[in-house]
Amino acid sequence: MTAEAAALAAPAAKTERATRFGAVAGSLWSGALLALLGLLVLYPVAMLLLGALTNTNPVVDGFGVFDLSLANFLTVLANPNVHLALANSLLACAGGTALAVIIGLTFSWIVVRTNTPCRGFVAAASLIPLFVPPLVAGVAWSILGSPKSGLINTLMGWAGIPWRIDLYSMTGLIVVFGMYYAPYVYMFTASALRNMDPSLEEAAEIAGVGPVRTLFTITFPLIAPAIISGMLLSFIVMLGIYGIPAVLGAPGDIPVLTTYIFKLTNWSPPLYSTAAAVAIILMAVTGALVLLQQRVLAGRSFTTVAGKAFRPRVIELGPWRWFTLSLALLYLFTVVVLPTLALIVAAFRRFLFIPNVGSLFDMRHYSLVHFDAVFDNPLTMRSIWNTMEVGLMTAVVGGIIAFAIGYTVHRSNAPARRAIDLVATLPVAIPGLVIGVAYLWAWIGLPGGLYGTIWILALAFVARFMPDTMKSLSTSFLQIHRELEEAAWICGKGRVATIRTIVLPLARPGTVAAMTLLFILAIRELGSSLFLYTSDTMVMAVLLLDYYEGGNTGKAAAWSRRSSRLSTSASPRSRWRWCVPRAGSSSPVSRRKPPPASSQPTWSIIPIARS
Amino acid sequence: MSELAGLFQDYAPPNGKDYLPESLISPKLWPRATLVWSIAYNSALVKNPPKTWMDLTKPEYGNKLIGQVIAPSGGTTWTRVMFERQVLGEDYWKKQAVTNPVLYPSGAPMSDALVRGEIAMGPLLYNIVYTKKRDGAPLEIFFGPEGAPVNPYASGVTTTAKNPNAAKLFLNWCLSEEGQTFMIKELGNLTSLRRAPVYPEGFDPKVVKVWLPNFDQYVKLHASWVEDWNKIYGYRQ
Repeated sequence: MTAEAAALAAPAAKTERATRFGAVAGSLWSGALLALLGLLVLYPVAMLLLGALTNTNPVVDGFGVFDLSLANFLTVLANPNVHLALANSLLACAGGTALAVIIGLTFSWIVVRTNTPCRGFVAAASLIPLFVPPLVAGVAWSILGSPKSGLINTLMGWAGIPWRIDLYSMTGLIVVFGMYYAPYVYMFTASALRNMDPSLEEAAEIAGVGPVRTLFTITFPLIAPAIISGMLLSFIVMLGIYGIPAVLGAPGDIPVLTTYIFKLTNWSPPLYSTAAAVAIILMAVTGALVLLQQRVLAGRSFTTVAGKAFRPRVIELGPWRWFTLSLALLYLFTVVVLPTLALIVAAFRRFLFIPNVGSLFDMRHYSLVHFDAVFDNPLTMRSIWNTMEVGLMTAVVGGIIAFAIGYTVHRSNAPARRAIDLVATLPVAIPGLVIGVAYLWAWIGLPGGLYGTIWILALAFVARFMPDTMKSLSTSFLQIHRELEEAAWICGKGRVATIRTIVLPLARPGTVAAMTLLFILAIRELGSSLFLYTSDTMVMAVLLLDYYEGGNTGKAAAWSRRSSRLSTSASPRSRWRWCVPRAGSSSPVSRRKPPPASSQPTWSIIPIARS
Repeated sequence: MSELAGLFQDYAPPNGKDYLPESLISPKLWPRATLVWSIAYNSALVKNPPKTWMDLTKPEYGNKLIGQVIAPSGGTTWTRVMFERQVLGEDYWKKQAVTNPVLYPSGAPMSDALVRGEIAMGPLLYNIVYTKKRDGAPLEIFFGPEGAPVNPYASGVTTTAKNPNAAKLFLNWCLSEEGQTFMIKELGNLTSLRRAPVYPEGFDPKVVKVWLPNFDQYVKLHASWVEDWNKIYGYRQ
């Protein structure tokens, strides 16, 4: 070999070595990420499955003593109480979804297609229920709609109205579900209506078809994928909710899957195996619905979006526009003002016995006693501290992991990217309550393990909200053009240096926003926390439930007012920044034209009102 | 109690001999708090209040006026459930179930429901309703003449206690006459002392006899009787 040939071969060999090193490093990196995700997601789910197939108690019998058999799972499947809880869940969610569709679709039509005054306000009002934690909504509506002591019944009795309402019933569950989960339908349908080419409607009008018939034969069929998608989404979210059925369903003896699972772990002795088996049923139903939703989203979403420019067709309602505005005001009053007033009454009233309207306005019954009691309780300050701690831990750890996964999936050619993406997205199909049971099974029997520490809560939250964080971050990654990184590589920067100097600074706003979102979701989470907290790691959401289930409605109301304020002040503006613009462009905050429905992130706004 | 062997240190309070022997389940464990069942009603709603345990089976209190804590709720409720069947009669549950009582997972939410007027009456632990009544809630409480089921809550010093002397000092005070007086007057409990220093308001020991469960039966009967109770009251477990 000549010296010239050797000189030419040296860089080639160097490149080959670098390529081989890169491949090995990529494989190791992907393996590490998969191992991490395995620990966060797959291991707890595997333990949940294992738990469903055994009848041992991991606390009493220790970890690793499994008497595996299908019998436990089959017994649970054959249990009529499980059938009842499943049937109640499906009925409540189906009814709630139907009502949510009516409300959501009405509001999206009002906001996008009519000349109703203050449409920006109506759009914002339509989204407010997203920010109300389900347990708070449940407590407020129990104060308002109890058949015997509800404020609405007291007022109706005073007004001489012979009707009485009973929200401790299946109808009550359906109504409250429908009111609070209508925004999910609204977000999908408002976006689809805005993106829809109005030429077909105009053709119908020219052909002499009336506006109502046009609505039902042209408009709604055209946005059917968005309606179905919103329906499925609201159904899925309702299915995993604990707070509302716990408060409204329990007095009427209406168990649903979530309340039944929690009850199983609260009996003496706790039935962890049965809880695991029921949790798997809940996960299977949710998973099937998520798959169905994704199929719908991947289907006909584009058919209403044309290439040419157009403006959504606005219907002149004439004097009826005041009627549509009053509908919006009524909704706002019902889902926000009325429950808030109920909570204020309960928080300040010494005892929640209100036999008549005169008693309601008798100021001698009001005091600050519940606020004093709440802040005299050492658990209060501990729960605030724990909540902030777990929120920060979740945000930082989850943010770093999501950044690593997002970069690997979107910006690298590391092997097993699809597998990493798949495992990271898996928790979408797992309700928070099920994540809680899975983590319980995964760690409770391990001596010296995570159980009983604040870390188990943080890691469960990281796993639970991984798809949401990933979705938020992925948009940031997709916005950075690849040539910026390539320029850095040409200049001799390595992978890590490129990430540090190019990708991270450019993706910083998105990363910070994703971490903020994660923080907010973590400090509100109840479902997963229920199974993982101890008295030392009590968080604010659990303390609220503790007050309510401990028979302290006044303290629960006082704490819900106070904790809502703490949560809001801990996360100023970020809620609106992250939710409203994504909600489908109809908000007054954002007037930008939204992307096509199919490309919108669907899960990034979901968890605000979850659990 | 063999499963407790090794978990607790030897401990006895200075006045140990003053305690009822039937309230002790182990020489290492002492009844720091003795909880007692009472019957409470919302005085603003009930014009013709019940006066006995048996009154809680009257048809006039039907239509969800009565509240009941479910039998599988825990040990204290299990005592009440045993009392109802063994003292009030084999058919007591059936008679009461006919009135269609509202079932609660524990006493705390039931007491809140009673104050709010969701239910009008029901058996509740005295310590749950006593503090509410003291603070002004519209409640009246009495002890049924058929008997007052009690549950001694055993306390001891664990073998792993970091500060065993402090624990013993605390228990000595709790179990002293002064400590038991505090438990009765401030917290709404009863006592397992042979001679109670004071009784809760309305508790006349000449009329109301304290009823302690037989601890052997307490363990042996639990599963089958709770199953019976669930069936009779239509509670799904």
